[in-house]
Amino acid sequence: MENTTHFGFKQVATNDKQSLVRDVFNSVAGKYDLMNDVLSFGAHRLWKRYTIASSNVKDGDKVLDIAGGTGDLAIEFRKKVGDSGQVILSDINAAMLNEGRKNLINKGVFGVEFIQLNAEYLPFDNSTFDCVSIAFGLRNVTDKDQALKEVYRILKPGGCLLILEFSTTDSALLKKLYDFYSFNIIQKLGGIIADDEASYQYLAESIRKHPDQETLKGMVLDASFDFCEYHNLSGGIVALHKGIKV
Amino acid sequence: MQPFAIFWHKQTIILEQALNRLITNGEVGISVLNGKTIGFSLQDLPLDVHFVCANERIFVLSATNKPTDVDIKLKSMVFISLLHGEDLTELLRQDKISIHGDVKTAQLLVDLLKEVDIDLEEIASKYTGDIIANQLGKLTKKFNPTNMESNNPLEIIKDGLTALLINPIKFEQYKHKNS
Ligand SMILES: C[S@@+](CC[C@H](N)C(=O)[O-])C[C@H]1O[C@@H](n2cnc3c(N)ncnc32)[C@H](O)[C@@H]1O
Repeated sequence: MENTTHFGFKQVATNDKQSLVRDVFNSVAGKYDLMNDVLSFGAHRLWKRYTIASSNVKDGDKVLDIAGGTGDLAIEFRKKVGDSGQVILSDINAAMLNEGRKNLINKGVFGVEFIQLNAEYLPFDNSTFDCVSIAFGLRNVTDKDQALKEVYRILKPGGCLLILEFSTTDSALLKKLYDFYSFNIIQKLGGIIADDEASYQYLAESIRKHPDQETLKGMVLDASFDFCEYHNLSGGIVALHKGIKV
Repeated sequence: MQPFAIFWHKQTIILEQALNRLITNGEVGISVLNGKTIGFSLQDLPLDVHFVCANERIFVLSATNKPTDVDIKLKSMVFISLLHGEDLTELLRQDKISIHGDVKTAQLLVDLLKEVDIDLEEIASKYTGDIIANQLGKLTKKFNPTNMESNNPLEIIKDGLTALLINPIKFEQYKHKNS
């Protein structure tokens, strides 16, 4: 079928995906942080810590966090760039961005800018940022290739892209456990804690539809990045891709 | 997943950070290296990294899809002697090091590596497959930028937890070596 794309395991009109994704995140925004901690047993914090450590970001740098949601990465980047740097927390979804704003205020983090944007169209000049990150966001973007090209365009030479995303595990045992967990427990917990089984079903399904490590690496290189490497975390359940623009 | 990939990646992150700290602090300039990719491998260890220099930054990658400008190959003991001030051209003359490409560029990289404030010698010399799990506990605690200063028991427990969540398969080894 032309002009269709996947939304979890469903095929939907390409034009509809964005609003379907928006509905999901409108619905989960209020409980997003709590659910993240519960569903990943807190591991998402470690994956994010690993991402920050891999970022090569320093004092004075300009960083854009795309699909930044409640701002976990932006908070850490803000510490790294200091007052002479700039961190922009961006998301397509106003409700998630609002949660981000609240979270940063609650944690006493100031100096981060907020922009509502779609990863496919980044409203910045060429060669603006030293680092662009996207954590658990890319799989929700309708045209991922377009988003990657945009990131390449706005990165400075010597800049890097970090993609933290669920991926594919090689271990048969881990895969079995993980499948059981995703399609039985996650949905149920989504229903019990967030009163929203359907959204958590989408989140679990969208993980399975996301390109595996090598495919995503190929997409990053196709978007003109000079180098791309990835590292598996938690046995490949999550992978961190790093793209470099020379 | 390659064995010990996470371990080595942690070390490359630490090395990358240390090199970039040097550049940011103005202790060294790398403008002559800009745009260059240097392959560096220790032949007796599974250590094969690429240094990519761009716009006053260095990235340390485990593999690249592009040809390198210079390739340096040597044994770990030779590397240690380089860090101790042994002359690169002398080692080259003695065939203890192989350099494909511009020797000056190789020399610049070696000079940079000598300056970094982490113990490369310890990483190189302590390595054997058997002690990796132990190193995960010790070296990462020593160098891990996210908890470099910690000696307290809570951090040690956190370290173990990190090992479990980041890499469940190696956690077993970690537990064993630390018990
Ligand atoms: C699972 S959350 C991740 C939030 C945060 N980065 C984290 O790691 O906790 C995914 C985020 O992607 C955002 N998103 C979805 N499609 C997007 C798009 N096309 N452009 C920008 N953000 C998008 C959603 O609104 C949501 O906040």
